[in-house]
Amino acid sequence: MIKIPPAVLSRVAKPARYTGHEQNCVVKDSSRVDAAFALAFPDVYEVGMSHLGLKILYHIINRRSDAAAERVYAPWPDMEAEMRAAGIPLHTMESFRPVAEFDVVGFTLQYELSYTNILNMLDLAGIPLKSADRGEQHPLVIAGGPCAFNAEPLADFIDFFVLGESEEAVDDVAAAVADWKRAGKPGGRRGFLARAAAIPGVYVPAFYDAAYNADGTLAAVTANHPAAAPVVTKRIVADLEHAPYPTKPVLPYLEIVHDRIMLELFRGCTRGCRFCQAGVLYRPVRERKPETLLRLAQELVDSTGYSEISLTSLSSADYSCLKDTVGLLIDRFKDQGVSVSLPSLRIDSFSIELAQEVQKVRKSGLTFAPEAGTQRLRDVINKGVTEKDLEEAVGAAFRAGWSGVKLYFMIGLPTETDDDIRGIAALAYRVLDIYREVKGKRGARVSVSVSSFVPKPHTPFQWYGQDAVAELERKQQLLKSLFKDRSISFSWHDAHVSFLEAVFARGDRRLGEVLLAAWRRGAKFDGWSEYFKFTVWQDAFNETGVDPHFYAGRERTADEVLPWDHLSAGVDKSFLEREYRQALAADPTPDCRRGDCRVCGVCQGLGVDIIDWGTSS
Amino acid sequence: MSAKYRLEITKGEEVRYVSHLDYMRSIERAVRRSKLPAAYSEGFNPHMKIAFASALSVGVASEAEYMDIELTHELDPAAMGEALARHLPPGIAVRRLRPVSARHAALMAVVNLAAYRISLPLPAAAAGPAREAVSRFNAAAAVPYIKENPKGKREIDVKTYVSEVSATATADGMELALAVRITPTGSIKPAEVLKVLVDNFALPADPDAALVTRTGLFVADGTSRISPLDI
Ligand code: SF4
Repeated sequence: MIKIPPAVLSRVAKPARYTGHEQNCVVKDSSRVDAAFALAFPDVYEVGMSHLGLKILYHIINRRSDAAAERVYAPWPDMEAEMRAAGIPLHTMESFRPVAEFDVVGFTLQYELSYTNILNMLDLAGIPLKSADRGEQHPLVIAGGPCAFNAEPLADFIDFFVLGESEEAVDDVAAAVADWKRAGKPGGRRGFLARAAAIPGVYVPAFYDAAYNADGTLAAVTANHPAAAPVVTKRIVADLEHAPYPTKPVLPYLEIVHDRIMLELFRGCTRGCRFCQAGVLYRPVRERKPETLLRLAQELVDSTGYSEISLTSLSSADYSCLKDTVGLLIDRFKDQGVSVSLPSLRIDSFSIELAQEVQKVRKSGLTFAPEAGTQRLRDVINKGVTEKDLEEAVGAAFRAGWSGVKLYFMIGLPTETDDDIRGIAALAYRVLDIYREVKGKRGARVSVSVSSFVPKPHTPFQWYGQDAVAELERKQQLLKSLFKDRSISFSWHDAHVSFLEAVFARGDRRLGEVLLAAWRRGAKFDGWSEYFKFTVWQDAFNETGVDPHFYAGRERTADEVLPWDHLSAGVDKSFLEREYRQALAADPTPDCRRGDCRVCGVCQGLGVDIIDWGTSS
Repeated sequence: MSAKYRLEITKGEEVRYVSHLDYMRSIERAVRRSKLPAAYSEGFNPHMKIAFASALSVGVASEAEYMDIELTHELDPAAMGEALARHLPPGIAVRRLRPVSARHAALMAVVNLAAYRISLPLPAAAAGPAREAVSRFNAAAAVPYIKENPKGKREIDVKTYVSEVSATATADGMELALAVRITPTGSIKPAEVLKVLVDNFALPADPDAALVTRTGLFVADGTSRISPLDI
């Protein structure tokens, strides 16, 4: 057991990030189970503790008698420096055991800019960074999460990936590890990887070879091992109603990012926004029943004592029984000082009504995401909202007493022109006008937040060449010059960050060396603006001779082999191609949820169905 | 009929590094889990009616903290203590609890003395010089110290708050005991007293390695010290 000296804890910021003993944490003797998992989140405690997926894994593994799951987060750089100086290895929060002593180290991949933190954590744990350098004594290093759907930039470092929803896959992996250990580890690491490769959804990168064409594009990724399938397809939970849900989550002392009960209403989204990767990865929509949600909420209130229930999903307002469920939850919990909140709201007046009911939103203001400034561009990206929707919703919000509105947009979208950029400013001014029309006076506050579009794998825009950084910056400046009213505040994201995201989102195996080079030059916590240094990355690209523009800015042709073609989210590539063509023609595709199936392939290929309780009641 | 209770609780080793705000929030959550009929304030953002005697810094543990909580109706104190004990996180325990009348003065207003124990790891050779440093502090008539906070700097006399520090040898170093006066115009933190001992009196210790524990909070006058629970 590792003991952190008081002198270390008294020197670092927020020492409670590292001292454990949180309520509801599960402390088993992990050295006595057959499969001990260190669940690692490559970001700081407050971010990692807020992640629902990790809570689910923790719960599922710990209910097994032959397995244990413990947690570990990336130490903040002040703590990392102390750990390196004092020779303290990376360790878990439950038993303070070194991560290197576990059977499995599992990373959650949420964001491309957390990749250097993975390398840093492996290094702090004393585990060789590259799979090929690990011996029989080292843990199996595995990873899952949305970024696993393009696993290639991490292929050198991760022993195997698990694609898709992990509820069932993690049980399969735990059982396989336990069996293999009880059998005396036949075949060693490679023997285990062959067993793992037979589990649906598991991708073992070492069992595949990548070949390249003369122009640098990918020629093929082919299996070199009999256990490796030509295409690995994601796992999916067909019946969310009966899926395990973590109703006794670990309760932090520190205030974390989402410090409240998270109630997942449903999974998936069928609106089909063409930029949205989650919309593809989590297809189709599967809802939980209101009575199930009420039961889960009760268990969560009882086990946490939280005073807020947040209804989470990709677009919570799309839940077919939302109004009833919100009413039921408010009635059940109002006397216990527990409130209900909706984090993401669609633009319509129905949402405003609900927002009024849950009240909680009033504090934070209302947030709308039109994403693009003109109707033409919203049709290109298939964001099914009109200016009239926005006007009605904002008008309703102002009438209901709100005076502040946040608007989210993206720039750099396919087919975008300067008129679309001007449209963003026009929409913001329109909101100010609506306030004047409704209230008869000035006084609205509008905050406009603009991010840069990143083309993501498995989306209709996966082929699109990202705007160059200079072009994105020009558009930011153009927009800035259009905001002259003090009631409008304007913020934008660093274009270099979006550029790097695009490089890794659409990268291949050759980026592994770049990651290593950047990490050696000190890159870590790249998702945090105080640590992001683009020059470090420039040096890493120069050193390795890898051209980042080849990955981010190049428009790819339909016949090009993509680095993620052997990893399937269940959605057909031909569907994505069709959607891209329709996008260029500004031709929208309706929501497939109510009977208008566009045959994207998920329901047919994976044998699942849309589950929508609103249609059956 | 609402009812007010005063509790003596701990902040043990497990939660030593938890901040005061986080400590309070953990207790509130435990109250909610225990389903005690807590009273809430009216208004848009209702909060539980809980008040603490005084805040502890991050890294400081305590053997005796005090909090007042208001419930919507009276409860048997024993049953209340048991319900809470089942739901408090490790390191937070209820030592005593009793009903107090609504007219009882607020905890914050009555507590005026805090006792601390500071455990210092010291090499054997440092024991003599350490004792001397403490005696020189005790002998000094006044000990000026510049207190810094976000609002600015202010010179204070440490002796206004701490007249004496006592030192006892332990297996791996030394234990300091001190009582700090809490006045309407201010006080001093034990970590600041330690800093003064190191900087001005050459106490041969690493302040970062010290473990500070509050051993008591009192309502004191010239002759007696009583705990806020015994008023
Ligand atoms: S297969 Fe049809 S119904 Fe199912 S998600 Fe795709 S488009 Fe929607």
